[in-house]
Amino acid sequence: MFSLRNVFKKGLSAWKTCSRNISALYITGDKANENYVTLQPYLDFKGTFSDRQSLEQSIASRGLDIGLESVLSKYQKYEMHHAQLAKVAEEREVVTKRLKELTKAGGSAEQLDDLKERGKSLRNDLKTLKQKLYPIEDDFIHDYLHLPNNLHLQCPTGGQEKLLYRHGLPKSERESFSHLSRHDLIHFVDNNRYYMMDQAAHFDVNAMQSLARYFVKQGDFIQTANPDFVRCVLLEANATPLTDYHLVQEEHLQNKINTAYLTGGAAFESYLGAMTKLCVYPSVLPLRYICCGRSYNRAETDLNGPIPSLYTATQTNAVQSFVATQRADEAECEQEHILNLAIDFYKTLDIPFRIVYAPAKQLTPAESLRAVIEVYAPSLQRYVCVGRISNYGDFVSKRILFSTRREKHYDFLHLVGGPVLYTSRLIAALLEHGFHLEDCKMLGTASAKTTQQQDLQQFKDLFK
Amino acid sequence: MSQGGALIKMKLLTNSRLLRPLLLLRRQRSHDAKAAQAPKPRPVPTSAQLDELERNVIARHHRNNLPLIRSLIQGVKAGDQDQLRQLQVELEQLPNATHPRLQDYGEQPRELAQYVHRQLPPQSSLKEFSELARALNLYRMDHLGNYTGHKSYYLTGQLATLEQAIIQYALQAVTGQGFKLISVPDILPREVIESCGMRTDGERTQVYKLDNGECLSGTSEMALAGFFANKVLQEEQLPLKVTAVSRCYRAETSGLQEEKGIYRVHQFTKVEMFAICTEEQSEAELEEFKNIEVDLFRRLGLNFRLLDMPPCELGAPAYQKYDIEAWMPGRQMWGEISSCSNCTDYQARRLGIKYRRSSDGQILHAHTINGTATAIPRLLIALLESYQRGDAIEIPDVLRPFMDGQELITRNKRIPETKLVKFIKV
Repeated sequence: MFSLRNVFKKGLSAWKTCSRNISALYITGDKANENYVTLQPYLDFKGTFSDRQSLEQSIASRGLDIGLESVLSKYQKYEMHHAQLAKVAEEREVVTKRLKELTKAGGSAEQLDDLKERGKSLRNDLKTLKQKLYPIEDDFIHDYLHLPNNLHLQCPTGGQEKLLYRHGLPKSERESFSHLSRHDLIHFVDNNRYYMMDQAAHFDVNAMQSLARYFVKQGDFIQTANPDFVRCVLLEANATPLTDYHLVQEEHLQNKINTAYLTGGAAFESYLGAMTKLCVYPSVLPLRYICCGRSYNRAETDLNGPIPSLYTATQTNAVQSFVATQRADEAECEQEHILNLAIDFYKTLDIPFRIVYAPAKQLTPAESLRAVIEVYAPSLQRYVCVGRISNYGDFVSKRILFSTRREKHYDFLHLVGGPVLYTSRLIAALLEHGFHLEDCKMLGTASAKTTQQQDLQQFKDLFK
Repeated sequence: MSQGGALIKMKLLTNSRLLRPLLLLRRQRSHDAKAAQAPKPRPVPTSAQLDELERNVIARHHRNNLPLIRSLIQGVKAGDQDQLRQLQVELEQLPNATHPRLQDYGEQPRELAQYVHRQLPPQSSLKEFSELARALNLYRMDHLGNYTGHKSYYLTGQLATLEQAIIQYALQAVTGQGFKLISVPDILPREVIESCGMRTDGERTQVYKLDNGECLSGTSEMALAGFFANKVLQEEQLPLKVTAVSRCYRAETSGLQEEKGIYRVHQFTKVEMFAICTEEQSEAELEEFKNIEVDLFRRLGLNFRLLDMPPCELGAPAYQKYDIEAWMPGRQMWGEISSCSNCTDYQARRLGIKYRRSSDGQILHAHTINGTATAIPRLLIALLESYQRGDAIEIPDVLRPFMDGQELITRNKRIPETKLVKFIKV
């Protein structure tokens, strides 16, 4: 399904972007003067390293170029320095306390001078140790932040995807034509610029609104409208390769390392802005959100190429899902819930589609499992992604401090979500399958309901 | 070339109209914008024409480049080719002509009508949008700057559904009037945006640029203009009316108290109308745009006023322009929620939008009209503030079919409140 070359390229670019020297997500004390610390991620070293085998397997299955041994040795060095620092700090505390006591009790001048000298020397030691620790901390924490999430048991670790569901089979005998030949409906300029006319334009809006409405009505989701820009700190927290989105060049950028990216409101990362540092009551869980909006993700441009088309275009209308749960098993149920709603929708359209678990190599480091909704694209003679629902566990929540309170503890929430629909790719596939867009049946369409209501009103009016 | 219709709509506008100096500054900035496409050379104006042009420039508060033009003409007469080129550039900077009826308007808009559709409760009990939306847990704008950017906002629950309902309502209305829907791109090459009269560089540009050198569209009018650029249409096709739902990106900021909250934001959704027509059709077409807009807001049950804008409020491309200002009772001010402009052939000349006249086959420049059907944030302000009912908001009748028959917007307890932690200790 996916060429190895592209997978390698993607992995490489992800690695490249992750290897920046300065991170917006973690800023050490010496750099905090110039760079505002917007977020202090929860760094659970013990938790991460407790199951070394799973971590090793995750790194290997994803094909990441990370030497766990080296990270662990950096961790030891970091811990050692930290312990040393803590010891000196503690010692200094004791001296300060003693000095206070002696001053009160009227100790001798000699004793006081001795303690003062000792305090000064400890203060200097502490300063020196801190200066020494910064580069060690920098080195270790940045490596640590590149470590991936553990993989879900269901995630295929070989190179192949795992089929979950399939509807219809692609007809191989059909003579395929590209959707771009429909000049009456599509005017394609390049990957950043295309126009859709008439029924394609109507479908573009209607499909998005209908599916969102279906999620609200049938799936108990809450609708949202989200911002289109997401800052670097959240992309890093979500381990999104920065090359997936266009960088926005802002005129007056206060925090130079926390730049903005054009994700579109219907991007998973856009939800993270509202969840950062948020602590919710357990009563709102599971928290189910759905939104309509734009998506400007260019991660799959190469994958669906090389010929530019609606399959490779950056901009699309999209429906994005986002769910937070307290426990891991609930997150799994929610992922299934979203997929079931998506299956209802695509089945009603009656286009050949399937749902697969993507192999570990295609996952971003934050994902533990990714289910991909794919429709068959006749012109490419393969399936293309129109949605993907991922399980992130509590990996991202820990980084953005998204939690719920249980007694005196904070539980980090388990996140599930992703786009359920990219309209441009679906339109392309429907046209290539010979569908008339105006005749496509869609779940969640308002008009059916409206007609029913109007009928009822007319009936009632008869008796007025 | 100078300002586009897009810019006219981007102007600052409040009930008090105290912001004129800012407005003039903004106009001046975009006035310097250069044309992306060089149109056909214009004939050198006669002395009488120059006097008329100067009167127009002064009335419209534009940079007066007529003294420069006059001196360049002298140079051209002496055979200086460089000065001829410079003259063409300066002539391109001139604003469109002004509709004669606006000549005696002075600097104030003329209120053509006031539409009162709602009896508002006493002022003392009225709340402002952000207070209403926050109390109902339907909106968040605080503590987002470091994560999703300055002045970014989330709409949640029924408020987000209301946004989509408004889009559907507007689309149903304008497509019913013969407008064809087009999906448009939001990322555009610099040249397309500049040919609409927006500057893309400089200290206070309103245009966001991306890492690849392309720009974010401020209004779908830019993408639509790009779509029809250099096309020759048949007269029978005109008036050609299109509509688009798009995301609009504007880099401008405002610290003004009356523009707080979502009144002026960097990103929002808008349903836009755009028409290409003949010279004979354009005035009637603008009236149709105005009538559609009035009807849209009348059916929404808002209290609003229709303004005929004076020459100094037209920007460069408009020949005439109507604004609609809704009464925002929570803010106690009139706020612009819509406008429409007749740009005659000003944009079409710069974009090369032409048509073939049926009678003699002659190719002429078309006229363009643009107007806002609905721009979401300000419409939400007007609706929520007008339809507040104690601890709930009534949903206007016409929007209910798009909201599954719901009649009220109420507090949603399933949406978490904004309780933030600073850090969590390991």
